[in-house]
This record gives sequence, C-alpha cells and structure tokens, in this order.
Amino acid sequence: MSILTDHGDAAAAAALHQAFPDTTMEPREWRGDVTLEVDPATELDVLTHAKEQLGFELLIDRLGADRGEEASPRFEVITILYNLTTHKRLHVLTALPAANPELPTAIGVFRGANWFEREIWDMYGVKFPGHPNLERILMMDGFPDFPLRKEYPTEGAGEFAAPRRALGGTVDGTDGKVAVNHDPSPRPERQGDDA
Amino acid sequence: MSTDARVMDVEISEDRHSEAMMINMGPQHPSTHGVLRLVLELDGEEVVRAQPVIGYLHRGKEKIGETLSWHQFIPYTDRLDYLAPLANNVAYAVAVEKLMGIDAPPRAQAIRVICAELARISAHLLGLGAYAMDLGAMTVFLWTFREREAIYTLVERICGARFTTSYTRIGGVERDLPDDFFTKCAQFVKEFPGRVDEYEGLLTTNKIWIERTQDIGIITKEQALQFALTGPNLRGSGIDYDCRKAHPYIGYEQYDFDVPVGSVGDCFDRYLVRVAEMRESARILEQVLDTIPDGPYLNRDGDEELKSVLPDKTKVLTNMESLIHQFMVATESINAPTGEVYFGAENPKGELGFFLRSKGELHADRLRIRAPSFCALQVIEEVLPGHLIADVMAILGSIDFVMGECDR
Repeated sequence: MSILTDHGDAAAAAALHQAFPDTTMEPREWRGDVTLEVDPATELDVLTHAKEQLGFELLIDRLGADRGEEASPRFEVITILYNLTTHKRLHVLTALPAANPELPTAIGVFRGANWFEREIWDMYGVKFPGHPNLERILMMDGFPDFPLRKEYPTEGAGEFAAPRRALGGTVDGTDGKVAVNHDPSPRPERQGDDA
Repeated sequence: MSTDARVMDVEISEDRHSEAMMINMGPQHPSTHGVLRLVLELDGEEVVRAQPVIGYLHRGKEKIGETLSWHQFIPYTDRLDYLAPLANNVAYAVAVEKLMGIDAPPRAQAIRVICAELARISAHLLGLGAYAMDLGAMTVFLWTFREREAIYTLVERICGARFTTSYTRIGGVERDLPDDFFTKCAQFVKEFPGRVDEYEGLLTTNKIWIERTQDIGIITKEQALQFALTGPNLRGSGIDYDCRKAHPYIGYEQYDFDVPVGSVGDCFDRYLVRVAEMRESARILEQVLDTIPDGPYLNRDGDEELKSVLPDKTKVLTNMESLIHQFMVATESINAPTGEVYFGAENPKGELGFFLRSKGELHADRLRIRAPSFCALQVIEEVLPGHLIADVMAILGSIDFVMGECDR
C-alpha cells in the first residue's frame, strides 16, 4: 500500500527485545505498526529504556482493551510512543489477568500518563499502583461499573433506571452495584371513560 | 497630596496572603468553551491550584463504536471536534482504510485535503475569535465569523450539510465536488490572506493583546512532551512536529507548505502559530485547486468492484448486482481483516488518532479515539498555578480545546 505503512519502528522493537529478552515477546508487525508485548513487571523499564535510550520522547496514547470475558489474560494496556527524530512509532502492549488487573503507573516516565491511566481505570477497572489520583475521569463519581468491559451492555446496565422503574421494573442494590430487574409487565389497563 | 507622598503612605506588608478560596469555574461558563469545570484554589487573585474536571459531555463513543458497523460510525466522528467535522471524517476514513488495506483514489485524496484544510481554517478562526473575545476584543470574533460563514457555504456545496457533514466513505468520499465549487473556493482562497492581515492588524501589534498574552501561560518544551501535546500547542512550544510533514498521508507530500513553530511557548506564541497555520492552509488549498486530478472519487478498483466499498450510485439504479452490493454494504456492513492499526491525522487541535482493532467482524472490537484536547487540558493543571485569575481565560483560549472531543 501507500506511504502509510512504514511508521512502525521494527529496529527499535528488536533492540528492546534484545535488551529485555526474557520478559518481552518477539515483536510483531502488521500494516506497518510494530507491537512489542512485554511482561507487566518490566513494562516500566521498557518504557524508560525506549524513552531514554531510543529517543521515544512523545507519549501519543495509553489505552486499555478487553479481549473478552473468556480470554486469559484478559485486559491489555497499550502504550503508543513516538520518536520525534526518526518519525517512527512503537506500540508497547501489556496483557493483564482478568482478576485484579494491576500495572505500575508510568507517571514517573511520562507525566501525561496521568489522565490516560485514570481513563483506563474508569473504563476497564485496571489499577495503577503508585498513581496519585486514580479516580473516575469521564464517568461520574460513584459510577458502579466499568463500561468498556465487554460484558457491560451498550445501552447501560440500568444505573439510570428511573424511567424503567416507572414501567414496573425494580432496582436491587447488591455489592454496592445497582442492577435492574426489568419486568416488562404490561401497563395497567386504561380504565374509565374513553368509551 | 503629591504623588510622592501617596507612595510613601502605602506600606506593603510582606504577609499579605489571604485565606485560600475555592472557586468553581464552569461547567457552564462562557470562557470554558463547553462544559469544562475548573476547580480553582485562589489566594487573592492568584491561582494556587487548578484542577480540571471533565466528563460532562461523555457520550460513550468508544463503546458505541464497538457495536456499529465501520460506515455507521462516520456520523459519530462529526461530533468529536464539532468545529472541524470534515477533518474528523477524513481521519477516521483513512484509519479504516489502513485497517482494510485499501487506498482512496488520487481525486478523493485531493478532495480530502481540501476538506481537512477548510476545516482547519474554520476551527482556527473560531478558536482565535473566541480567544480574543475572552480577552475583551469583540470585533475579532465578529470578523472571524464572517469568514467562517464563507467556509460553511463552501462546506454546504461539498456535502449539503454545514456542520454534521459525514462526508467521507471507506475508500473515498460520498460524492464528487460540484463544478462551481472550484471557482468559489478559489475566490475564498484569494481573499483569505487579506482577511488574516485584518485580524493581525487588530491583534498582533496591539499593546493590550501583547500585555495579556506575552509570557503568560508558558508551556515549556519539556512539559509539552511530557503531556503529549500535539498540534499548534506543541509547535507553539518550539517543537517541530506536524503529522502532515512527519509522515504524510492523503498526499500531503505533494504540496509545498511550512510548519510554523513558536519559541517561548506562551499564549502569544500559540496565537502566532495558529494565524500562520491559517495562511499555510490557504497556500495548500491554492495548490490543491490547481492540481486536483480527474478520476473516480471512490475506490472501486477498476471494473472488479471492491466488495468493501459502496458502488456507484448510477449503477445501483440500473444494475441488479450493484443494487445487491449496495444493500449488503449498507445493511450488513463490510468485513475487516483481523488485526489492529493506529492512525493519527493532523487535525486543527492536534493529532486525532484512531486505534482500531478488528476480529474480522462487521464492527470494531476496540475503537479508541486519541483526542488531542484531552491531552491539552491535562497540562493546565501545571500551567495555571501562579497566574492571575484573569489570565486563566487567556490560557484556556490559547490552548483551544473542544469538549466534544475531550470527553468523547
């Protein structure tokens, strides 16, 4: 294809793989994007190495992903780094378990990771030990769920159940979560004087 | 009482710090340009601590993107940076094309450049107008809206809508440009630099403007890099990074333009960068209008139609197979290969990135929007302290964010 396909820095990924041979996987490349999968424990070292030794100064993005409820490991944190000199990009991927996913915060390397990590916590429930202010950022405070997890329904899990309640549903509070048992019972028959 | 005596009478105490006061600026405040809330801790008029609170416009676009087909998501991109919907359309379409491994034909690429640059001018005009109005210069706002009106008339000619354009399609654009568009656009491009001179005449050498913006809200190079700033905010701090130059897409390598870069990183630099960028955009537009090639506006790959791209409308009306094809693409969506890509486009506010992951289904498995305003807002937590509350408006205006994109 066109010029779009040569952005990934395969050489840098190989260099990182060489520097951390036991804790990183073989880099993979698709459509010109190079992804290096690393162990959660060494992610911070890899990011530091990439920034200080290989010149990846700009943190483009840090995002979460969910591989699905059955997958193991289930969650991912992907960090997209950019080298301003060579104009190449590198994706660093970390896979995390479904139960209690945790990853050390990268604020020490890139201060801008702060809000990205808050968003990953907000959307996926991945914790970042060492983060100074790991609170919800896009959802409101006290929101009971992690909306970008695959099991969370797109139309919402009924946190805003007032209109449904009016139609006959009930709201349970269990484990601090609000669940809706929407009973689609028929509306009361109109009575009276329309005859 | 002589002047001297008055000076003598005033005894300034060293201990003039008052009790800290918390102020909620926003979420509904005219100079927060949307629903941004700032929790400011003030010592007198000085900001001690500032905490931006976002999320008031969160619509769950990334979640919605996991259920909609690739084409169905295009209208949602209009509502990201709603000041430059055409540029968002282009960024998303190129990202999906990268995933699919198809290319838009040369004419479509040139049309997309026109779209992106018109959107850039219009977004910078609004940013500049609102920035100046927050600092008390009302005229600039009215004048920039004059040119924005002209641009929206052009946008109306391109796609029929003024704001919610949804103009691009996977593999090209929705329809060709009308014949009269070129003369109208050329007329606008010819007049536009003179208009920019007018704004600059109002502001660039204006003593009040300089006092209010110079050395205010300095974002150092180090801060700009740490907080992942992109676009004019990054370049205002003196870092030369523009996606259009660094890794050209949709044919930007064919056009001759400069990337304006600031030096200090204050509000005035960011203003200068935006003004210079508008001139460069007009330059690009001029070249595109001269060199736009003929040919198809949607990639159909010769006679053997790409099954992932919408067929020609005239064929749909005359040919049974094309009708079925159109029906399949529109109702069932198109299959993308398994894989993941990231594409970042140079939007008016910075790098708008799409991270798309596909499991070979009719919709995305993960659709991540990397919003430049989200990153830009993060930095004000560090920049605002030490400034007067009146400077908060200058700094917010100079950062030029839009909440639709920040909150997604």
